[in-house]
Amino acid sequence: MTAAQPKAWLARLLLALLITVTLLPFLSMFTAALAPSGSYPNGLSWPDEPQWSNFAKAFEAANMGQLLISSTLIVLGVVPISVLAATMAGYGLAKLTGGRNKWIYLVFVAGLTLPFEAVITPLYYEVRAFGLLNTRFAIILPLIGLYMPFSVYWMRAHFLNVPNDLTEAAQLDGATRWKEFWLVQVPLARPAIMSLTILLFLWTWNQFLLPVVLVRDPSLRTMAGALGAFQGQWGTDVPLLCAGSLLILTPTVLLFLAFQRHFVAALLQGSVKG
Amino acid sequence: MNDGTPSGDTRLRMSRLFPGGKNQKARATAILFVLPAFTAYAVFVLAPLVMSLYYSTLRWDGIGKARFTGLANYATVLTDPDLLSIIGNAFELVLYFTVIPVLLGLAVASAIRGHMAGTFGTLTRTVLFLPQVIPLVAAGIAWSWMFASSGLVNQALTAVGLADWTRGWLGDFDFALPAVGIIGAWVLLGLCTMLLVTGITKIDPSLYEAARLDGARPWHEFRYVTLPGLRQEIGVCITVTVISALASFDIVYIATGGGPGITTMVPGLEIYRLAFAHRQVGLASALAIVLMVLVLIAITPVQWYAREKK
Amino acid sequence: MAGLKLQDVRKNFGAVEVIMGVDLEVEHGEFVVFVGPSGCGKSTLLRMVAGLEETTSGRIEIGGRLVNDVEPRDRGVAMVFQSYALYPHMSVYDNVGFGLKLAGTPRDERDAKIRAAARVLQMEHLLDRKPAQLSGGQRQRVAIGRAIVREPDVFLFDEPLSNLDAALRVDMRMELSRLHTDLGATMIYVTHDQVEAMTLADKIVVLQGGIVQQVGSPLELYNRPANLFVAGFIGSPKMNFIEVTVDGTTNDGVRVANSLLASPALVGQRQGMAPGDTLTLGVRPHALQIDDTGPIGGVATLIERLGNETIVRVRLDAATEITAALTGQREIALGEPIRLGFDPVDAHLFAADGRRL
Repeated sequence: MTAAQPKAWLARLLLALLITVTLLPFLSMFTAALAPSGSYPNGLSWPDEPQWSNFAKAFEAANMGQLLISSTLIVLGVVPISVLAATMAGYGLAKLTGGRNKWIYLVFVAGLTLPFEAVITPLYYEVRAFGLLNTRFAIILPLIGLYMPFSVYWMRAHFLNVPNDLTEAAQLDGATRWKEFWLVQVPLARPAIMSLTILLFLWTWNQFLLPVVLVRDPSLRTMAGALGAFQGQWGTDVPLLCAGSLLILTPTVLLFLAFQRHFVAALLQGSVKG
Repeated sequence: MNDGTPSGDTRLRMSRLFPGGKNQKARATAILFVLPAFTAYAVFVLAPLVMSLYYSTLRWDGIGKARFTGLANYATVLTDPDLLSIIGNAFELVLYFTVIPVLLGLAVASAIRGHMAGTFGTLTRTVLFLPQVIPLVAAGIAWSWMFASSGLVNQALTAVGLADWTRGWLGDFDFALPAVGIIGAWVLLGLCTMLLVTGITKIDPSLYEAARLDGARPWHEFRYVTLPGLRQEIGVCITVTVISALASFDIVYIATGGGPGITTMVPGLEIYRLAFAHRQVGLASALAIVLMVLVLIAITPVQWYAREKK
Repeated sequence: MAGLKLQDVRKNFGAVEVIMGVDLEVEHGEFVVFVGPSGCGKSTLLRMVAGLEETTSGRIEIGGRLVNDVEPRDRGVAMVFQSYALYPHMSVYDNVGFGLKLAGTPRDERDAKIRAAARVLQMEHLLDRKPAQLSGGQRQRVAIGRAIVREPDVFLFDEPLSNLDAALRVDMRMELSRLHTDLGATMIYVTHDQVEAMTLADKIVVLQGGIVQQVGSPLELYNRPANLFVAGFIGSPKMNFIEVTVDGTTNDGVRVANSLLASPALVGQRQGMAPGDTLTLGVRPHALQIDDTGPIGGVATLIERLGNETIVRVRLDAATEITAALTGQREIALGEPIRLGFDPVDAHLFAADGRRL
């Protein structure tokens, strides 16, 4: 095992390099955010007088308070309904339908690789026909539909792994399908539901295309969508832009740090299954 | 003893509601469970998809009268040099989005080959996943600043004596697209690395020992144990990264807006531009359908590769 | 008070018929075991009684009520699964009480029943645990407890002991027997293990290829197997079969012969056969004894000394070996010639189509 020693060092070195490369853009933004507003700072240099007030200014300029509320509302509109609908459908497709109805599942799966851009144009006209353009529903409702392929796929994969014996035991215990679903299946599906919730939260919070196309008012958009508008407005003021971007990142990053383990698990499995 | 009489009554009532009996009822239940998801999917994915197909046969500005043009829009997408080079850009991005993360990820994974335990492991995981957690838009802004004239990239080049190389990367006709590619690589690098590192821990360590006893060199170990063992994970990495390259939108929108010229324009952004700025809804829809098909064509062989022997 | 009645019950999976017309009557309080090799349809039949499998045709009655179209939960049955099928997220207490809770049983009544069942199964100390914290035998108890509290008309057991190790299996077998006596309920039990069937059953149903081969008490099956299949399936070690020709009849029975036999053998029965018929002679290993003038002669090729008995494999010719289970400890050496005989009443004869004569 002497050969393992230098290799471990090589691995650490590589990782340290990766970590540095990953963190540098954030660091560079951070130092730039502390430079005097309107100035042209250098890539990575600690300013003589750190302008912490830039963050406060960016908070004002980006209308952060409003944005937080808006993003939260959109997430609350999308995630619970999507998770519930997908959990039900996943259970239905895994446990209640046989070979003859496999096509329904295949129709869902067909949407897995669909780029959102492929349907954004008709979505615009559809949402407009519903009279929802420039409302949060213009983001919420289409996202629920767009998330269904992955979510249903995800939940079905989970339910396929639940032994049929449990379903049958529940039936013999006198459970209707509905009760079995809520009292047996959903509690057992908690890890899968948790991961799906995390993924959908991230994807919604970071969704950019739909807000940009369907909602003009940044204060009705998601964080990411608002960031686009913020860049358009303050793009030339590098310190302010960097401060604003960092602020907009903060909520998800904080959540991520708090639930690090769950996030990592969800993202890893999420891509494997997707 | 419980002879089930009370529930027997409900059953009788149910059987009157569903005259077809047990089977019919089971079917109805299944439909009720799937219906909400399917409705959402049908209204906001399937219907728009059908509309996309329909629009793609029209010449329509989105407001006035539409004119049926058959496949003319598709002919335009597949012959117009600008549109072709835009599609080409997407494939060039694949080189950066996919190749860099997968190769680097493989290197790191085979160097570590084992669990990343302890604080160092947690720290590494956390940091490497940061780019996955933040909006792509933020990655775009961060790197616009990195690539700016006074940004860190130029600063670093100057520091090592390559001041001649400095430029405004994202405004440079030759280097804008690679620069955009680097942003994508940065976003996807952590994910791919972690997927591969996790995947390699699932390979039975005795395989490596057996290989070594058989006289395998490190390269052989990599070629005959690691690569086959990571087949599925590599497939996943390629799938995820290829889709995000071909369907890229956020990063390009923020970092370059497609410029300079159309050197960094990608289909996703062009669809948006055509449909909402140039009011060529038909052409935008045709491009959208082509994009969708291209993604499928690009993904299918990868899926085959990953499925085989698994 | 519920018995069970099956009338020409059939089951198809697509074009494949897996249960081909089963008729069966089970009295209230009987312990009935479905036994057969894997794939014989015994589990399918049990699941049809439970309502977990659709019945293609025929009638299933529980307690005189036709239940073909009745949901499993309304049939008055409880089932113990091979995998136990305990709800992993619920404590033992909740697992056992789940059915009662669904039925809307008041909390105190529920509590009393759960604790009573726990007392019967000696698992009161386990009530707060989760299934993952239990051993195989303990899970088994919980699964049985879950069935008991529902006070079903019919208990169904689907290979409940097959996931336990050998020693535990014997204990649980006895416990199930005791439980049956205590509860006096109708129980239907599926197993592929004929020892379980013999020890537990009032009545055994032997299934093969979706067809009932024989129904009867354990000893009936042992003493008078209806056909070659049952004869070979019930009893351990397996019954020996030798192809023979009818030589003639005597006052005591029929004389059969075969080139393998050292001398013609006498079998205590003589109906339905004529000289010259080709039959199968069946003799249980335990019916064979050392007999220097016996009809069977060969060479010992394998000897297992179990202490209380000695099992000898005897080669008659290059293709035929039989097994003899001799009482006590015997001085036999490998390769030694050996001569065996049997009491004519212990021999069975089967016609060419496998039926007992």
